Amino acid sequence: MNAIWLVVLPLLGAFLLPLVYRENIKLRIGIGPFVLGLNLIIAVMIWFDVAANGAHTIVMGGFPAPLGIIFYVDQLALLFVIMVILGTLILWLGKEKDYIGYIQEETLLLLIVGGSCGLVLSGDLFNIYVFYEIVAVSSYGLAASRGSYAASVRFLILGAFGSSLLLLGIALIYAVTGTLNLAHLAVLAPQSLQGIVGVTAFVFIIIGLGVKAELFPVNTWVPEVYTTAPARISALLGGIVSKLALLVILRLLITLYESSAAHLLLLTLGVLGVITGELAAMRATHLRQMLAYSSIGQLGLVAIAFSIPGPAGIIAGTALALHHAIVKPALFMLTKAWGKQLSDLAGASKVSLLSSLLFLVFALSLIGIPPLPGFWAKFLLLKGALETNIAAYQMAIAVVLIATVIETTYFMRIVRLMFQEELKKTSTLKAPALQELMPACVFLAILLISVFAIKPMGTHLNTLAISAADKSVYIDQTFDKTLFP
Amino acid sequence: MTETIGIQLVSYSGAMGLILLGIFALVNYEHLIRVIFGLILLEAGVNLFLITLAYRADAVAPIMIEGQTAAMVDPIPHALVLTAIVIGVAVQALALALVIKTYQKYGTLNTRILAQRIAEESGTRMIEGIPTEVKKV
Repeated sequence: MNAIWLVVLPLLGAFLLPLVYRENIKLRIGIGPFVLGLNLIIAVMIWFDVAANGAHTIVMGGFPAPLGIIFYVDQLALLFVIMVILGTLILWLGKEKDYIGYIQEETLLLLIVGGSCGLVLSGDLFNIYVFYEIVAVSSYGLAASRGSYAASVRFLILGAFGSSLLLLGIALIYAVTGTLNLAHLAVLAPQSLQGIVGVTAFVFIIIGLGVKAELFPVNTWVPEVYTTAPARISALLGGIVSKLALLVILRLLITLYESSAAHLLLLTLGVLGVITGELAAMRATHLRQMLAYSSIGQLGLVAIAFSIPGPAGIIAGTALALHHAIVKPALFMLTKAWGKQLSDLAGASKVSLLSSLLFLVFALSLIGIPPLPGFWAKFLLLKGALETNIAAYQMAIAVVLIATVIETTYFMRIVRLMFQEELKKTSTLKAPALQELMPACVFLAILLISVFAIKPMGTHLNTLAISAADKSVYIDQTFDKTLFP
Repeated sequence: MTETIGIQLVSYSGAMGLILLGIFALVNYEHLIRVIFGLILLEAGVNLFLITLAYRADAVAPIMIEGQTAAMVDPIPHALVLTAIVIGVAVQALALALVIKTYQKYGTLNTRILAQRIAEESGTRMIEGIPTEVKKV
């Protein structure tokens, strides 16, 4: 199976969807999930193929690299592809029954999945920019899908600013190297990208990609969009799509920037993100706003993990990203009925015990309580950071531990409200509908299965990270050995 | 030779000037239309920068003709700029469409006021700066 289908199918589905809607009203329920399901099957088939035979590249239009555009298919990229498709599919369960704007939202959802797959698979800098724009534009549309135009336009301005900086960074890299192919750049980087121009380009790229990755200085859109967009969209953007930009940054760190300056820059932004995100989450008075700030903090953790050089960082970062991609969407789905002021949640366990228990389990996993996967993800991060023996990473450990304490404070405050307070007489709290709880239950099932599958998952992550951290594999897979001996 | 260096210098400083102007407008203004003009300037600056990268002195258009010996300009940045312009126009159109919708709904285009209105509507309070007092929840 060719990995190009992963991008083509959702895009094709997105543009055919309006036509199908016009012709056949009955097909409209199934077509989105059908396309995504097909895509998921293809992704899993490619996963097994890659697991058996190793990473490979796909050449577009018959022009070999470095002239042509390539897709680089390895397990790391496929893992994130599967995460996006599966996450979107599960969140599809949580749509409202009587919503009329299906067609716009579903088209954009398919578009964002296609763009995301292209973003993680692409092995060409300019292609990364184009797919990043596809993802960005569809997320502006999704953010505005229920009439929250003001939040969306503020998001768009920041996003377009980021995209321009990303393009500027790519132009600078092209100016000093004369190529856009990642593998070719990996060959040239040790000579040409270590200077001031190369590092400047990285600063522009990291700020540009940082808008979607919710990195420290450019994440002001996060609380606004996540509190005004529908729960399903906040879950998708905050829990799943935001990690892909971080994965691209990781790829650039592995192939282009092995210097410590670039790693330390990402570490600094990650640490600042963790501090600001968690402190703001503690002061938030609204459940959704709290979750939005907490997702800034969690993505800061992933950034810290990815900034650790070598396979240890990739293992920790991937584990943290996958864990967050299970937990945060589930928490956001609960806010559809309960997205209120925190004080309104008093006595919520009397209204719906199931939802309160779901909240408790996910909150515990996010904090990192031992049997749950969140603990192992944070443990891997601390272990990886300790083993570097660099002072900056030891400081980051302190920040991560303090952030965990803050996280515990604000999550347990809500759990106490839910379980120990009496229900107010004036309370308007309703039990969430089963439809809304379904995605959360599926995510809970995945979480509990992974509790028992920690060990095989660890070994898989290990082999995946070792092959992903080696840039010579990337170069060998892309070029004939004769070209760059 | 000095003439071509002059052309490149003017082009580079033009690109840098546009980028800086764009960022200045983005940071400085609160009116959405002005901010979007800032974005347009920023994008134009980046595109001009890419075009300048492709420039070669006394070069011809990159089209293969038999017996041609003159140097060619670099075609790749041209292709990139073409794509970037199309993307830029689409994003600007979307931005203006959203601006119209925003104005119809809120009657203002001041970003600061809009941020407050968003916070009021969703029932959140804006969190900025150092807390002056700790409120009990």
